[in-house]
Amino acid sequence: MAKKILRINMTTLKAAYEAVPEKWSRWAGRGLTSAIVCDEVDPMCHPLGPNNKVVIAPGWVTGSPAAPSSGRTSFGGKSPLTGGIKESNAGGLSGQMIAKLGLAAIIVEGTPLKGEWYTLVVSKDGVKFESAADLVGKGMYEVDELLWKKYPKTAVIGIGQAGEMKLSNAGISVNDPENKPGRYAGRGGMGAVMGARGVKAMVIVDTGGPGVEIANQDLFKQGRKKLTESIQEHGLTKKAGGLNAFGTAVLVNILNEAGGLPTRNFSAGQFEGAAKISGEAIAEVCEKRGGEGMMGHGCHPGCIIKCSNIYPNESGEAIVSCIEYETTWAMGANCGIDELDYIAKMTRECNDIGLDTIEAGNTVAIAMEGGLLPFGDAEGAFKTFDEIRRGTPLGRILGQGVEATAKAFGVSRVPTVKGQSMPAYEPRAVKGIGVTYATTPMGADHTAGYTIAPEIAGVSGKLDPLSDEGKAELSLTFQAATAFIDSSGYCLFIAFPILDIAKGWEGMAESVAGVTGLNITGADVIPLGKEILKMERLFNEKAGFTAEDDRPPEFMRNESLPPHNVKWSITDDQLDSVFAWVHNGQKA
Amino acid sequence: MMIKINVSLYGSLSRFGGGRHVAQLDIELEQGAGKAELLRQLGIPENERGYLFINAMLCEVPGISTGANELLKDGDHVGIFSVDRLFPFQYRDGLPISDGLRKTLKENGAMHHSYK
Repeated sequence: MAKKILRINMTTLKAAYEAVPEKWSRWAGRGLTSAIVCDEVDPMCHPLGPNNKVVIAPGWVTGSPAAPSSGRTSFGGKSPLTGGIKESNAGGLSGQMIAKLGLAAIIVEGTPLKGEWYTLVVSKDGVKFESAADLVGKGMYEVDELLWKKYPKTAVIGIGQAGEMKLSNAGISVNDPENKPGRYAGRGGMGAVMGARGVKAMVIVDTGGPGVEIANQDLFKQGRKKLTESIQEHGLTKKAGGLNAFGTAVLVNILNEAGGLPTRNFSAGQFEGAAKISGEAIAEVCEKRGGEGMMGHGCHPGCIIKCSNIYPNESGEAIVSCIEYETTWAMGANCGIDELDYIAKMTRECNDIGLDTIEAGNTVAIAMEGGLLPFGDAEGAFKTFDEIRRGTPLGRILGQGVEATAKAFGVSRVPTVKGQSMPAYEPRAVKGIGVTYATTPMGADHTAGYTIAPEIAGVSGKLDPLSDEGKAELSLTFQAATAFIDSSGYCLFIAFPILDIAKGWEGMAESVAGVTGLNITGADVIPLGKEILKMERLFNEKAGFTAEDDRPPEFMRNESLPPHNVKWSITDDQLDSVFAWVHNGQKA
Repeated sequence: MMIKINVSLYGSLSRFGGGRHVAQLDIELEQGAGKAELLRQLGIPENERGYLFINAMLCEVPGISTGANELLKDGDHVGIFSVDRLFPFQYRDGLPISDGLRKTLKENGAMHHSYK
């Protein structure tokens, strides 16, 4: 049975199934959300107005039997944080269930005329529009719990109070296998876009769904085998490897030793308390306190990497799942805080209120620099989250993210690109990532392009990775590879094995070809990724973006970052060359 | 005359400093000692040593040895990761690295997850 699009109109409160039009039929995940947004959303619309949409799409292989670590769901629309196109994806239960209902995408459009709030119950029988009056004002922990009482074992997509207030740092939550709201399409304020549709929550019931068809079983199995083997061989993703043993926070100590861990609002590259907030420290706490605490937790069924954790309190009861690298950095090093228990509590606040932890931690750091509270004040930082929950004037400023807060507090060291704040890799110290931060259509985003072994992606022999030459081409190649992975439904962490181990790269492409029947091989990954990037770039141009938006923040050109004492050194011409091909080398 | 080196050991190597997953300690060495003497004093076998940083400069990667013996001075910081630990490959591009490692990578190819 061919996949369908489910279109939900919140103005008329009607839902309809549509055939997938030919022009979108190749795409899934990020490729599909971006294609639909480009075709249906006016680039000049107000992100919170009636003409924006939330487009939800599982990846190509999501929901297929035992494709490893493939449970991602993409959420797309126009971002209130950046003003450009946004695709943000999450793990959790939703992707596999949407795919098993035979849906290529769900498009949520319109706005309720009287400002009502709804819970949308999506099942094989269509959509039920239930009043969400009983859920409004509640955080996501309670929302997930209440909805599972009525609809057990379902996927719950929802927004916390931040999304209800339509704050630019509001994310979209997806529940995990324990029905906790730890999986976020966090970046870019998509929770506010969902809130502007009057949707508090969506329940996905996959019972009786047609499941995911496999076009070519042999090819799928061959691809899946190669990919699975490469994941199990790579030191990062194998069982008891870096991610499984210490979670994504395995990166804290390494970036810190390298002098690239942004500290106290990007004023230094090393934090003296890094070891205390690292993945190793999280593992020690889990071992010591026991109880519900654990490393090697899976965020969705079928993950074989299992990089998540459940952080326990002193009694062994779960505080939050999970403390990611970006989270422990944003709430920790970047705020001068070295207390894991506070970082766990702040992460829980973000998951409950519905905030992106990267933007939230960066915002607290800006408030610290602006004098609202001192760097290192863990209790004070923790309390700022309740301001957001209660919607106080201060909370509404903080909930708008870094740029709004910097204006409110007169701060000029503002680590953003296109309105979105930078993640946990200092681009002055680790230059390769800086080109991607500056040029990705998504705003400063670490997931936009992984710079790994270039030979597999087909740029071998053209550049010396130790020189400054060729960074633009590398960045483009990896942005394209990432756009493909984000469309596949695979977790981005497969990037390490597929970009380091050749059979993994082939296996990813073959498994996608096997499920979809599309004629895709490893050689098509970069061209397809570039098509997605081109759509996104053109949307942004129509939204008013120019080359000046592909620039690092000014302070990085002027201020030297200790310990390496380096400034931003990539030229504007190099940055402009990344996407010059979109217009055949001519400027837009 | 002795010099004091601040050392951080990560992952399974932390057992050489009395830790579970992380250990931080000071090591005293003779003036004029280098990286090799430090590794010897800590007792870390070559095949367990992964990435090694001296004062935020990447000096060693797993799987190959640069053979260089960087001179250490009083107050230096050395961070050593176990061999099975990830390096953030995606961010290595443009990262400061030692002359010895630069030479080794030129001979052995770009930094990779494995040199087997």
